[in-house]
Amino acid sequence: MPAQDVRELRIVGFLCNWCSYGGADTAGVSRFTQPTDLRIIRVPCSGRIDPLFIVRSLMNGADGVLVSGCHPRDCHYAEGNFYARRRLEMLKRFLPITGIDARRFEFTWVSASEGQRWQHVVTEFTRRIHELGPAPTFNPASEADWNTLAVKAGQGQTCPCHG
Amino acid sequence: MSQLDDLKNAIKSHLGELECVIGWEQGYDPLHATPLFIRTEADLERLIIGPLAVHNLVTYLTGFKGKKIGVVVKGCDSKSVIQLLNENLIKREEVVIFGLCCDGVVSQRKIRAALPADPGFVESVDIGASDLKVTVAGQAATLKLAGVLADKCLICATPDAIISDVLIGTAHTPAPAASLACQDEFEAKSDAEKLAFWQETMSRCIRCYACRNACPMCVCRDYCIATSRDPLWISQDNSPAENMMFQMVHVSHLAGRCTECGECERACPVDIPLMLLRRYMNKQVKDVFELQAGTALEQTPPLLTFKVEEERINERGW
Amino acid sequence: MERFITKENLIRLAEELSATCRVLAPVATCGTVTFRRFQPGMTLDLHSRMAAVSPKAATFPQTESLLTVKREIPEKKPEITETLPEGKSVVIGCRPCGARGKLIFNPVYETDKTKDPYFILRRDNTVFISLACDRPETTCFCHSVGSGPADANGSDVLLTLVGEGYVARSVTPAGEDVLKSALFTDAGDKGKEADAKNAKAREMMGEAHDYVSAPEKLLARFDDMDFWQAQSAKCISCGACTYMCPTCYCFNITDDDQGLESRRIRSWDNCMSHTFTLEGSGHNPRPTKAHRLKNRVGHKFSYYPDLHGGVMACCGCGRCIKQCPAGVDIRQIVKAAQEYSE
Repeated sequence: MPAQDVRELRIVGFLCNWCSYGGADTAGVSRFTQPTDLRIIRVPCSGRIDPLFIVRSLMNGADGVLVSGCHPRDCHYAEGNFYARRRLEMLKRFLPITGIDARRFEFTWVSASEGQRWQHVVTEFTRRIHELGPAPTFNPASEADWNTLAVKAGQGQTCPCHG
Repeated sequence: MSQLDDLKNAIKSHLGELECVIGWEQGYDPLHATPLFIRTEADLERLIIGPLAVHNLVTYLTGFKGKKIGVVVKGCDSKSVIQLLNENLIKREEVVIFGLCCDGVVSQRKIRAALPADPGFVESVDIGASDLKVTVAGQAATLKLAGVLADKCLICATPDAIISDVLIGTAHTPAPAASLACQDEFEAKSDAEKLAFWQETMSRCIRCYACRNACPMCVCRDYCIATSRDPLWISQDNSPAENMMFQMVHVSHLAGRCTECGECERACPVDIPLMLLRRYMNKQVKDVFELQAGTALEQTPPLLTFKVEEERINERGW
Repeated sequence: MERFITKENLIRLAEELSATCRVLAPVATCGTVTFRRFQPGMTLDLHSRMAAVSPKAATFPQTESLLTVKREIPEKKPEITETLPEGKSVVIGCRPCGARGKLIFNPVYETDKTKDPYFILRRDNTVFISLACDRPETTCFCHSVGSGPADANGSDVLLTLVGEGYVARSVTPAGEDVLKSALFTDAGDKGKEADAKNAKAREMMGEAHDYVSAPEKLLARFDDMDFWQAQSAKCISCGACTYMCPTCYCFNITDDDQGLESRRIRSWDNCMSHTFTLEGSGHNPRPTKAHRLKNRVGHKFSYYPDLHGGVMACCGCGRCIKQCPAGVDIRQIVKAAQEYSE
């Protein structure tokens, strides 16, 4: 969707240098239009990505995080994306218990020649994030919110474990 | 001869070859035990076991590199030993394991909820086979042990140490509950409810790192990224977001390694229900990799390895 | 001045004060009692036990902003704004030991040479309405460090539970102002009952332990690392003790940068952590937990009293003992040093 229609949300992308960054470049060279919300960070390999990068981005206020690497079995460094696949799968499955919508994080595999696929991935993911809206934050936004937090605590907001 | 006598004799026969044996002794009041480092027979006299012996002593093992140590373990603790062995963090020949057949340990929080006055005012405690007679602030109360057992005991599938050099006590046939009601109840909440819960809970976290330091699997110690300045992962700011960030770091680093000993939650001075996060992560590990940390030797932690074809990971068809 | 206030009216007083001040009061959540910003409609937990955390955050918050820096564009001069604390606070329902904490800060944070404006502003604008204790917990030892269950030092008003209300005694002029509220009534005879309760609580604590020899005896153990290794064996070096302590006062200053904005914050530091004395070169004069525990115990019962007229940097609240995941008992450690013989 064109950027001038709606306010841009902050979507962070971690792309591996060899496949996905190349794929994004191919999409650009081929003049495929995509929404401009995505801010790309290039890493040498998806295996370099510490799942905490995604967590830190979300906790810092990113509305969505997209990770993209070479297809498994095609990693430029042979094994990097095998590790990434396991780590990122665990992160995706972990997010729900924290109250963060797991749909705000996605990982996918795009090779250097797949410009069209890249365009599809970015468009789809950005659309999904816009549907979800800006991400809620862990920190109360204002003094009034801090007070509401205090009241909730004061009313003995019941914890399932501790009552 | 009682279980305690059997244990003392077993330790006595090994004491000569060991730097020390880690067990428990009576703590600062009748409701608390505390870790005991046994070096002499005089120290051995103070050893206790039983429902107050909650501490996972395995957390001290990695601090004794190169020395031969004895440690007393309950069923849950023995899983921590196995996990440390699987990760080559301790050597099997450097530890003598005195395993117990455990009947469960108490939760101080549940004791507090069951008593007429705060256990801080305890005067005397009489531990029976299935109950606890507590006199607190002049009032006597009898509590059923089963009602004040720690949550982890209710779902325990390994009450008897699953690795040991000496095993003390009568073996159990465990019949644990399938899952904890509180865990199920929490998982059923909506994203917004869960977020609000953690927002409120993390606002009382003081980032003391008692949870991290009590964890037997946390061995990075002084080099933990949570307190590293370069790179800086977490700000000193004590906001709910930064406090939650630390929990995300801890749980991520424990994925596939956490043996659910529950020490993190027990250590927390402000009673944050940390196990909600860890039990959930463990469920995911079990679902994807079909294994549970600490349950078998020679098991490589799942995130330290890979398979070319992963049966249970969807390859994100987009 | 001595007055009386019913339990209901104490809540009303909190409501009244919260219109103009930040009111902190003990609230139970998830089975634990912490100090929260009071809002009308809240249920307080004043009596089940003392709060898990100390009220020191009122005068020394865990994180406070010292200054903020903003730049418009890189070339312009940065705009620096000092963020001094504003407004007034009231702490209701802390225990005498908690209110005393700031007395330990005073000789350090306000000297002839240095005056910490952040601490001084907060201290001078916070009123402590403390609640005397009915009975000691197994971890209480305030009587051994020059205090007691009804010690008024450090509080502005001291409440003692009598029947369905509290006898309220003012300690400072600020306390007297609080007692002027119409919610307080004449105390009548209740003052005597309050005295009896306070005496009973002190009696229940038993004999005080004498720490007079502690400074010298602890210093005598300074080079004895075997002693400290034995004492610190079960310590897990976390820092719960430090953060819970009403008298611990060390801090860190760090900058939080976000793009063109920065915030300089002061936060609690803790001597049980490895980074406490980690130097830029990588050298650490306190590399092990034995060194660090020696420092903590030494500071409270030896170095501080030596510098500040024999006052122990400890209020005897016992939080460090009951909150310690391993049950490290500072009373035992100091006693071991006092009784040490070759």
